[in-house]
Amino acid sequence: MSEPQGSEGTTQRLPVIEKAFGDDLDQGPPPAAADEGAREGRFWSARRVPAAIVAVLVLAVAGVFLYDIAAVRANRPAMRWRRELARQLAERPLDDIWVLVGAGVAAALGLWLIVLAVTPGLRGVLPMRRPQADVRAGLHRDAAALVLRDRAMEVAGVQSVRVRMRRRRAGVFALSHFRELDDVQADLDATLGEAVRGMGLARPPALTVHVRRPGRKR
Amino acid sequence: MLRTVNRVLIAIAGLVLLVLGGAVLAVGLGVRPPSWWIHDGRHDVLLSDAERTHWRDAGWWWPTVIAALAVLVLIALWWLTAVLRRRRLAELLVDTGDGEGALLRGRALENVLAGEAGQLEGVAHARARLTGGRTAPEARLQLELEPHVDPGTALYHLAAESLSHARNSAGLAAFPAEVRMKAVKHRAERVS
Repeated sequence: MSEPQGSEGTTQRLPVIEKAFGDDLDQGPPPAAADEGAREGRFWSARRVPAAIVAVLVLAVAGVFLYDIAAVRANRPAMRWRRELARQLAERPLDDIWVLVGAGVAAALGLWLIVLAVTPGLRGVLPMRRPQADVRAGLHRDAAALVLRDRAMEVAGVQSVRVRMRRRRAGVFALSHFRELDDVQADLDATLGEAVRGMGLARPPALTVHVRRPGRKR
Repeated sequence: MLRTVNRVLIAIAGLVLLVLGGAVLAVGLGVRPPSWWIHDGRHDVLLSDAERTHWRDAGWWWPTVIAALAVLVLIALWWLTAVLRRRRLAELLVDTGDGEGALLRGRALENVLAGEAGQLEGVAHARARLTGGRTAPEARLQLELEPHVDPGTALYHLAAESLSHARNSAGLAAFPAEVRMKAVKHRAERVS
């Protein structure tokens, strides 16, 4: 909110990192209405769990090899599994079914790890607009869905609501048991539009609202 | 920092697996490998005895293998401890402005921050954790919101009140924070 407000039309705005601020708590009304502009990036997961698993596996394999090779250097016999491994490696041709299966699994696993490494993850966290330059915030998707559901329930005539929250889109399915459907729909559109703006998301999801009568049976 | 390390090392591991597995798979399925490749056709074995023992009599072979494995073990060990250790700021340095400094327990600031955030309108529960260095701390907060509050408003109040108070009272020039907002689970019910 400390950026100039007038430059909405410009496509690129350089990320200004303001070091010397200290009094920006006086300014700014409670969350300004839809001002687009500063693109808020996704949250990037630290990928702790895959990292720990890979580290343990590398440690175990390298450690066992190191131990056994050192033991052999010290004139003790190699462990049976290593001789067996060497024999298998020297006997199995490449078109052996198990070799192919193993290679396929390894390649798939490798691809999966690369995908993990280059994608942000944390798909459940929606980035919010920054209230101050150094405060990053994210709203969990199910929290956003709950907000939408609660706001929708406040509309007169709405009996029950189901919210489907995606990262870019929010679908609200409401059952209305009285009032004209069109009126309910209009009220829902207004209320939920307000609610989406009130979430302060960096990229507000596109909202679709469906209203039906509760059917007997479907 | 750790995030970058994790991702780079995971990518390297993935690349190694992908290249080895993919090469064996491709040759095994009948692709003609280039002449310098270790496998020269689909009926070749994975690693023949001749290939395995090729360098064995060279004086440098075993020391090299052992050194490489040792380095690998050390890297994996360091990586594992870095991943498992939860970094938490024990204390931070408060500049009192008279050339001296005071130490503030990280836990104390965490508790104040969480307590104050928890008092905010519409916040049911708050947790705070400090990371970073002791002159440049960073905060990570997790808020649980009550149903009636707008997340944007809650965030604004958090930034304008709790975080600013903490920054000012600890005399920090900057106090970067990362906030995650969740919602208190509750049933759908008509409020009005």
